[in-house]
Amino acid sequence: MSSPDPHSANSPQQASDARLQQKPARHGLVGLTLAGLVVSMLGLSYAAVPLYKMFCQVTGYAGTTQRAKAAPLKASKELITVRFDANVSRDLDWQFKPAQRSITLKIGEEKLAFYEATNTSDKPITGTATFNVTPAIAGSYFNKIACFCFTEQTLEPGETVQMPVSFFIDPDILTDSDSKDVKEITLSYTFFVVKNQKTTQIKKSNANGSL
Amino acid sequence: MSTQAHAADHHDHDHKPGFVKRWLFSTNHKDIGTLYLIFAMVGGTIGGFLSMGIRAELAEPGMQIFSNPHMFNVFSTAHGLIMIFFMIMPSLFGGFGNWFVPLMIGAPDMAFPRLNNVSFWLMPPALTLLIISLFVEGPSGMNGAGVGWTVYPPHSTSGHPGPAVDFAILALHLAGASSILSSINFITTIFNMRTPGMTLHKMPLFVWSMLVTAFLLLLAMPVLAGAITMLLTDRNFGTTFFDPAGGGDPVLFQHLFWFFGHPEVYVIILPGFGIVSQVISTFSKKPVFGYLPMAYAMVAIGAVGFVVWAHHMYTAGLSLDTQAYFLAATMVIAVPTGIKIFSWIATMWGGSVRFPTPMLFAIGFIVLFTLGGVTGVVLANPGIDRAFHDTVYVVAHFHYTMSIGALFTLFSGWYYWFPKMTGYMYNETLGKIHFWMLFIGVNVTFFPQHFSGMAGMARRQADYPDALAGWNMISTIGAWISIAAMAVFFFAMALAFVRKQKAGDNPWGVGATTLEWTVSSPPAFHAFEKLPKVK
Repeated sequence: MSSPDPHSANSPQQASDARLQQKPARHGLVGLTLAGLVVSMLGLSYAAVPLYKMFCQVTGYAGTTQRAKAAPLKASKELITVRFDANVSRDLDWQFKPAQRSITLKIGEEKLAFYEATNTSDKPITGTATFNVTPAIAGSYFNKIACFCFTEQTLEPGETVQMPVSFFIDPDILTDSDSKDVKEITLSYTFFVVKNQKTTQIKKSNANGSL
Repeated sequence: MSTQAHAADHHDHDHKPGFVKRWLFSTNHKDIGTLYLIFAMVGGTIGGFLSMGIRAELAEPGMQIFSNPHMFNVFSTAHGLIMIFFMIMPSLFGGFGNWFVPLMIGAPDMAFPRLNNVSFWLMPPALTLLIISLFVEGPSGMNGAGVGWTVYPPHSTSGHPGPAVDFAILALHLAGASSILSSINFITTIFNMRTPGMTLHKMPLFVWSMLVTAFLLLLAMPVLAGAITMLLTDRNFGTTFFDPAGGGDPVLFQHLFWFFGHPEVYVIILPGFGIVSQVISTFSKKPVFGYLPMAYAMVAIGAVGFVVWAHHMYTAGLSLDTQAYFLAATMVIAVPTGIKIFSWIATMWGGSVRFPTPMLFAIGFIVLFTLGGVTGVVLANPGIDRAFHDTVYVVAHFHYTMSIGALFTLFSGWYYWFPKMTGYMYNETLGKIHFWMLFIGVNVTFFPQHFSGMAGMARRQADYPDALAGWNMISTIGAWISIAAMAVFFFAMALAFVRKQKAGDNPWGVGATTLEWTVSSPPAFHAFEKLPKVK
């Protein structure tokens, strides 16, 4: 140091080695606490996976539909139209289409709709369907009682099956100011090939689902 | 005391380790800071080269230099990742942080010097992995990861079967681990090693900015690590976190990524806030206006930064109420940011203001950042964002704030501390030429992108309609001006090292009140053997 240091010039007590004055143990404590914070954030990022799924199921977020045991006893007189949409992943050699374009039903009334899937490949394939409804706000009011999408579906080569979905629209949709004007809901499925499937022997699942 | 200090100085000089031990096994905060700064220059040069590739491709409609559009995406991906993780962060956080946090709080070194060494030496392998990713297969038959810095699945999973994305992910793992380790180091140093009298509320604002940045990294980086680890296992080990075929959801990745990504943009700019506060106070010969609001505005920006992430995902199907919340929360950030802008201006107000190069860059930063902040408030609106999403309007916005904004704070700090770090004075005229050329260059590059973006110019696309050729030509001219400005910079730096004009301990005069100006230039290998006392 070529010039005198104004801050340290008048304190001879400070002259002992600065490094001796530190308390390494306290460093360790702070360091470990911070490392704990890092580990817990890492844990939280993994915890986000089930929490996110739960959040969507509970709130009907992004058009996630609900599951119910039975339709309400009394249906409303209001009518609503449900349209059906079908998509297949590029990797899946299936044809998949709704058996009807749309159904108009009373709100609260239980209805049964069918989709038709054909395995166009020469080997058995297991597929699984993801689903949602549009508009997304209708997700929490769209209830499925039974659906082929609840389980994985296996189709033999060339096999065609009718896949049922039974559903109703919760009458509460009429009391929610955000959704009461919804007159048409589109139910959409996308079939994906199930990863890591055993190609040799797959138990033939009941294509009629739980009906 | 003076002679004592002198003797201590000599003692240190005698015990400076040899080259390999000093630079490869370094535990000295100043040497590690220097390594970070050199590393950032390497990263910045590569990242700058990649950005010129982007501009060369976009110079005219049609394909210019790339044979297929994927290569264009590879360039912009690598440009983004390198500039963020291997240029801005190593320079502002690693470089200046290591150099000046201990000096400013009167500490002899960092709390964990060997950890500091590990933090730095994780970075070169990380950059190497990222560069390797450019040369290995990504999509079938093509090289490199063209996934954008956001690495969204399914493009980064089923869209890139080759190992390029894996290399990029591992590069981010290493860079992230490095950031987490240095964050732990900085926080421990700032909490435990302040010299007597240096209370938290007396710390220079640069140290405050580093403290907030370190906490942001500590909380955000592990989430990125988690998300990209899930991506890695989805790609290689058959998990289905983001794959709907196995019950996953690709949108979850976007949530996790932006929970990291938004705090990350404040990680990039907060150290710059700190630098600009020091520089403006120094060259206005006034203490910074509203010190405490300035410090807590940074804390507020950091805290609110964690609850606005979904404004990057307005088009991903958020409900109306959710969009309303994220709109409001995002706009709230403009309040503490506004406090900072106003306080910087108020610091200059009535001050004895001089305009050497660091001050020019600081004021240039305020101009750029305010402009970018205004477009940020525009983009906070989901309705407008739907139209502007993934256009170069967004590119202009984030370059004005976290890219060239951060770059201007970086140069401000560089010119401000260059005399302290090297002991040499740079050529003021060349510095000013550098500033004006760069200021004109970046504005000519990015300002037209507001217009072309509004007209529908998409980002991440190698080609565009003829109607947008005019704005793109102007942007490309601006990019060349900026490159020329960088040539002036490197020339000015080389000249400073050739001329070796002595700078003196405090070349900036009475306005420079922080502790680093009380030690010699360059500081002794071990400064503050005796703790300075702060009144």
